[in-house]
Amino acid sequence: MTIASIQGVVKRYGAHLVLDYIDLDIYEGEIIGLLGPNGAGKTTLIQTLTGITSFERGKIEIFGQSKNPFSNQNKERIGLVTQGITVFEELTAKENLQFFAGVYGLRGEEKKKRVEEALEFVGLGDKGNKTPNKFSGGMKRRLNIACALTHRPKLLIMDEPTVGIDPQSRNYILEAVKKLRENGTTILYTTHYMEEVQAIASRVVIMDQGQIIKQGTVDELIQMVQHEEKVKIDVTDSDKVPVNELENIAGVKKVVVSGNQITIISAFDSGNLDRIITLVKEHAGVLGIQADKPNLEDVFLTLTGKELRDKEEA
Amino acid sequence: MTVFKFALKRSFSNIANLVFLTLFPVACIFLPRGEEWPFLPYGYQYFGIIILFIGIRLAAIILEDREKGVVKRLAVAPISHFNYLSQNLLAYSVILILQCAIVVYGGVLFGQELYQPGWLFLLYVSFSFASLAIALAWISIYRKKDVAFLIYMSLIFIVVVLGGLIIPVEMFPDLLKRMAVILPTYWLGQGLNWVVFGEEILDFLIINGVLWLYTIVFVVIGSTRKI
Repeated sequence: MTIASIQGVVKRYGAHLVLDYIDLDIYEGEIIGLLGPNGAGKTTLIQTLTGITSFERGKIEIFGQSKNPFSNQNKERIGLVTQGITVFEELTAKENLQFFAGVYGLRGEEKKKRVEEALEFVGLGDKGNKTPNKFSGGMKRRLNIACALTHRPKLLIMDEPTVGIDPQSRNYILEAVKKLRENGTTILYTTHYMEEVQAIASRVVIMDQGQIIKQGTVDELIQMVQHEEKVKIDVTDSDKVPVNELENIAGVKKVVVSGNQITIISAFDSGNLDRIITLVKEHAGVLGIQADKPNLEDVFLTLTGKELRDKEEA
Repeated sequence: MTVFKFALKRSFSNIANLVFLTLFPVACIFLPRGEEWPFLPYGYQYFGIIILFIGIRLAAIILEDREKGVVKRLAVAPISHFNYLSQNLLAYSVILILQCAIVVYGGVLFGQELYQPGWLFLLYVSFSFASLAIALAWISIYRKKDVAFLIYMSLIFIVVVLGGLIIPVEMFPDLLKRMAVILPTYWLGQGLNWVVFGEEILDFLIINGVLWLYTIVFVVIGSTRKI
């Protein structure tokens, strides 16, 4: 069953096209991993889907409503985990949840119960009376998630919920997301960490420059690039990499230079490795070579010619 | 009334706000009288300045919500922007009305000569609302709380001096006297004079009317920005 549908949505900021005729269906019970580099349009897509931002063309249907998809009735069934930490630092964790639960119309004992439940769910059961300014980054992120859970949304939209946190908290959040799905929540999860998507998503949607460039299961997407070979070469001087000459070697599909590493994608079994290494060695000096099995990062690289994350971010 | 309840709670949640909202107004009650000017005790002249500061401190909570992205989160919740804003403003209004009551009737109990305390209370309430509305419009221009606050502080200084709360307007050159009319502090000053010397109730109503006009105009301006 489709619970949200985006059809031909176009959004511009001035002359810049941010969403370029986006089509996306979200089915009940799935976790969609929305992957894309910074500036791909992920957050704008979420803001459009939730009615925060207007769009100039296209149609959005949520829970079967297309005339008024952002009605209060629909809003009660949607939860948003924002990219930034949008909690009140001056209120305790419990008060934060009471605030959001109250805004969603919960009252009395039911509100109290849901607040306790949400705190337990994100592992902050014993921190309810503490203010977030005493929390670690990971705990704040978990509280940020809990604020979107008290009203038990049917569709939970999570906009990069794990940015800048420790691996332990990240694992906790990923496990929580899986648990939510088991409880029947549909999740749209945006990130630029491909390992997160690989771990939790039942379907992956790849965005770049305002467009959805590919979607499918993790296996389907990896299969798509399995007919290719990838070699990563660490060089001493990346400025001297002969990119054009490498691209002219028979079988080479793409050459990407990132920092002091070049990634060369070739057709499967092209037998050009010797020639590639010789050429790179001559011009830029070789420090190391590695050949990888394809993963989502490679899918992304093949499709866009970009790394999913900037090196300094990773 | 969730937003209202938490707006009240958040207003008293840090020391700076506590000082502004409780200590400063109470201190006004105990300030002495001037020899010739102002006509009311100093505290009742300076309370106007405090109200301007309190207005921006309270309105800055809304700016903080916008800066942090809480407003975005609320845009997805089943609560309208109007509802969010009106509950916040209602909470701040309650605080301001209570302060005005404490300052005026605290002064009466302390034995200060306030001439017409009922009208003085009404004047302070009108000025408080105008001050809150101006602060709301002011923060709608900014994204960062600190910047908005800092520039507003400088502005308050100018408005207070030119409006005649520190120096009597009568001492200004003609040009400044004419310019002072557009400042809400001028009308507060006129209102304070009326409380001491005024006879015609219509004059007092006009003064309050101007302050309410400020309130309406600036609330409309300040309400337009949502996220």
